[in-house]
Parts: sequence; structure tokens; C-alpha cells
Amino acid sequence: MAKARALDRRRKSVRNIRKITRTMELIATARFKKAMDRSVAARDYTKQLAKILENIASVGADVAHPLLEIRPTKRAAVLVLTGNRGLCGGYNSNVVRQSMALVGQWRSEQVPAQVAVSGKRGISALRFRGVDLAERYTQFEDKPEFAAVAPIGRAYLDAYAAGEIDRLDVVYTRFHSIAKQEATAEMLLPLAPPQAASTATKAKLASDEYDFHPSAGTILEEILPASFLARLFKCFLDAAVSEQVARMVAMKAATENAGGLIKSLSRQYNRARQSQITGEIMEILGGVEALKK
Amino acid sequence: MADNSAPGTIRCVIVTPETTSLDTRCRSVTLPLFDGSRGIGRGHAPFIGRLGAGEIRVSGEQGGAGDGVRSIFVEGGFVEVAHDDITVITQQAIPAERIDPASARSEYDKVAGSRAVGDEAIDAKFRRQEAARALVRASERTRR
Repeated sequence: MAKARALDRRRKSVRNIRKITRTMELIATARFKKAMDRSVAARDYTKQLAKILENIASVGADVAHPLLEIRPTKRAAVLVLTGNRGLCGGYNSNVVRQSMALVGQWRSEQVPAQVAVSGKRGISALRFRGVDLAERYTQFEDKPEFAAVAPIGRAYLDAYAAGEIDRLDVVYTRFHSIAKQEATAEMLLPLAPPQAASTATKAKLASDEYDFHPSAGTILEEILPASFLARLFKCFLDAAVSEQVARMVAMKAATENAGGLIKSLSRQYNRARQSQITGEIMEILGGVEALKK
Repeated sequence: MADNSAPGTIRCVIVTPETTSLDTRCRSVTLPLFDGSRGIGRGHAPFIGRLGAGEIRVSGEQGGAGDGVRSIFVEGGFVEVAHDDITVITQQAIPAERIDPASARSEYDKVAGSRAVGDEAIDAKFRRQEAARALVRASERTRR
């Protein structure tokens, strides 16, 4: 009996775990949808900014700006975006691995790197690996707000303008589609120069001939920081969406695995119970035989 | 852009980093450019401009309250006008009726009362003061 009871107890606990993982999966799905909506809603802003930048570039304005200028990297900055919570498969560890590769690269080139991390998981993982953290953020959950991201971005812009950093890389999980997210290191500063419109759209633009108020150069000066902030914000949004997808997938797998475990435990339990019953019948029959004599 | 709406209207879109906060068709729009207001009607020449702090006033909105004016406060940003299509790109857009006049006023007093030393700080103070003043103006106009 002891074995059967132990099996039953285990089966019960696995059932409870399955309940929890299924709930977590549902929560992650709901959060993913919300995060995805936010990410889609934010796309227009980036698109419109890019359109204006394109227009300015095709007007042939002088696109020299401190934010575009590539300097030799003497001091680097790295911003790592991870989650505050675990139970989301390889989401956090992939980002940490990417950022360790980058930090290792700066170390080998003897470039001092200032590392900032968002998310409790990344903070503890990087501290464990002996990386000095300049900044830690734990306030970003599944709904990063622009008002919260902007001050971080502005601090980087100021540091870049003052020459305290020559380059900024953001390590985060990029969201390609629901089936594909990958941890990447993306260089945000210096900014990639705006591309002039392709010839097809240029022909269309030529008929427009935009006026600029004030001048194209002044607008460029103002629009580049805005476009940097938008890109940084997009990284945060992508990371939030990817985290929810990763958790959804991990919890779905856990739920399925628990189902399989319950099935095999049930089979074992039934077998143990059956053999116990058979044993008892044999004992009774044995007793009856003995009484007959 | 599918033009399936009433003739004589222009499209006005306001995008912020988080969302598209307004997408509507209307008769005219007044924009707070960096050097003063500018009204945009149908057939305006295309331009790209920088915005200052102030109200965007959308008049004659379709499906809206007839001749009512919708007023939205923005603090800086950019605008692109082309093909009867106005796109405002700004970091924050607040509907004017949602601004609390009392807190706008106290914010203004705080900025006006602060001390700035050095050219840059004085410039920054003036900019903030200007923005706070525009906020007060926007909030009080809608109350009237």
C-alpha cells in the first residue's frame, strides 16, 4: 500500500503544479497581447520620425551632427535589458550570455565599459559573473512607459555629448515574430545616419518640395535625439513583448510536461494498486485453502 | 490615403511614442509652431516644422460636436504638412480639458520662482517657463 500511496501523493502535487503553470501561461498570454498592442501602437511614431529624417536627408541638408559622428571607442556603455522574474525559459540567460560576450570584448580591447542593467535577473546574473554595474533598474515590468525610459535615454545623450561615452550598445531580446525572438546587441549611439529616400520616392518628394521651419539643419538637430529616444523605447517594448512570449512558451511546455508526468504516474499507481489487490486475494484464497484441510 | 470622407476636410494625426492619440478629419487646425501659431486649412503648402509648447486646436471635426474645437496641449515636437495631411510628432499630447488649472498654475509659479545661474540654466529656465505658461493658458481657455 505504501508505494501506491506515495505515487498518489506525487500525482496530486504534479497536478497542482500543472494548475499553476497553466494559469501562468494564461496570464502571460494576456500580458503578451497587451504588450504587443502597445508595441504596435508605438510603431507609428518611429515611422513618422523616419519619414521626416528621410525628407531632410533627401533635401541634401548638411547631415553632420555630434550624434552621427563615429569616434574611436575609448569608453563604452552597455545597457542590458532582462526581466525581473524567471520561469521564462532561456529569455534571461540568452541576454546575459550576449552581454557577457560584449563585456568580454571591451575587456580584451581594454576599453572601460559602463554597464547598466534593467531587471533583477540580469542584475544578479551579471553580479555573479563579476561585472561592476553602474546603474540598476527594476521598475520596468511588462508595460514600460516612455516617461520612465526617456530620462535614461537623456542621461546617455548627455554623457555622449560630454564625451563620457563614445558608444552605447543595448543588449535585449529583439522581437521578430511570435515564433522568433533573439537576444541581440544593438549599437544605438552613434546613431546610424539617415538614409536619403530611394529614387522612386524621391521623384514623388520632388513634387512636394517641403519648406522647413526653421531650417532643415535645426530640425535635424532636434529630431535626432527624439529618434534616439524612440529607438531606445522600442528596445524596452521589444524586451517586454519577448519576455511574455518566452514565458508563454515555457509555461506551455511545462503544462504539457506535467500532463505527461501525470499520465505515467497514474499508470504506475494503477499497476501498484492492482498488484496489491491481487496479492490480497491470493492471501484470502490461501487462508480458505488452509481452513479446508 | 483613401479619401472616402466629405470634401473640404483635412486629416490630422497626432502620434506620441506610446500611441496614436488622435486620427481625425477636420476643417482646419491651428498649430503652435516654435515662433507662433499657424493655421492650416485645405491645400496648404507642404512644410516640416518644429513645434513649441502650446495648444493644437482642431476645428470643424467630422463626427465631432459640430463647430466645437478640440484642444490638445503639446510640449515641443515636429509637424509635417503635405497633401491635406497633418502629422504631429510629439513626446506628449494632453487633451486640454484634462489639465488641472490649479496644478498648472502652481507649476508655473514654481518654475518662475526658481533661480537660474549661468547662460545655459537661464535659457533652460526660460524654456520651461514658456512651456508652463502655455500650459496655464491652455487649461484656462478650456474652462471659460
